[in-house]
Amino acid sequence: MAEKMLIFCGSDQPEKAFPPFMLGCGALATEMELTLFFTMSGLNIVRKGGAEKILLPGAPKTLPAFLQTVQEGGAKMIACSAAFPVVGINEEDLIEGVECGGVATFVIAAQEADVVLTF
Amino acid sequence: MQVAELEKIQAAKVVDARGTACPGPLLEAKKAIGTVPVGQTIEVWSGDPSTKKDLPKWAAKVGHEYLGAVEAEGYDRIFIVRRK
Repeated sequence: MAEKMLIFCGSDQPEKAFPPFMLGCGALATEMELTLFFTMSGLNIVRKGGAEKILLPGAPKTLPAFLQTVQEGGAKMIACSAAFPVVGINEEDLIEGVECGGVATFVIAAQEADVVLTF
Repeated sequence: MQVAELEKIQAAKVVDARGTACPGPLLEAKKAIGTVPVGQTIEVWSGDPSTKKDLPKWAAKVGHEYLGAVEAEGYDRIFIVRRK
């Protein structure tokens, strides 16, 4: 069975928003299963029109391009519904391909993962 | 493999990933290896200094064979054989 990487994306600051995708691409390239869990301001990464506003000069790709790359690579993307009221969004505001999950989803994914990273 | 031997290799596919930084060359290598038959070689060009360290590790992890790297002018040529 493939090894699993889970990445906790908890911020929309560029220095924290980009590394999950850079490392996640590496995980996919080494044939790991990748799950990205978005919560708090990290939800802005998967909010419609949100990734376009998070810019990191010098990064190899834009954030929307990274989103496309990991989605094409089969990554699972989960938005933490517990944080929806905190950032003022709901399910309809999420980009396509992102599913909602709660604390249990994260905890179980963490238990099953071989590697968990937090940003 | 020695540089002289590597230079004789006719790769089935040459990927120019010089315009992209990590993880670009890795993603290009992954994409390219799937386009050649098992037993054939790809050659990845990268200007990122980490690529010649990353690709051997990636190849070993996923089951391909790293042959070596040749330094060119301002970039590296990295040779990998598809083994599965």
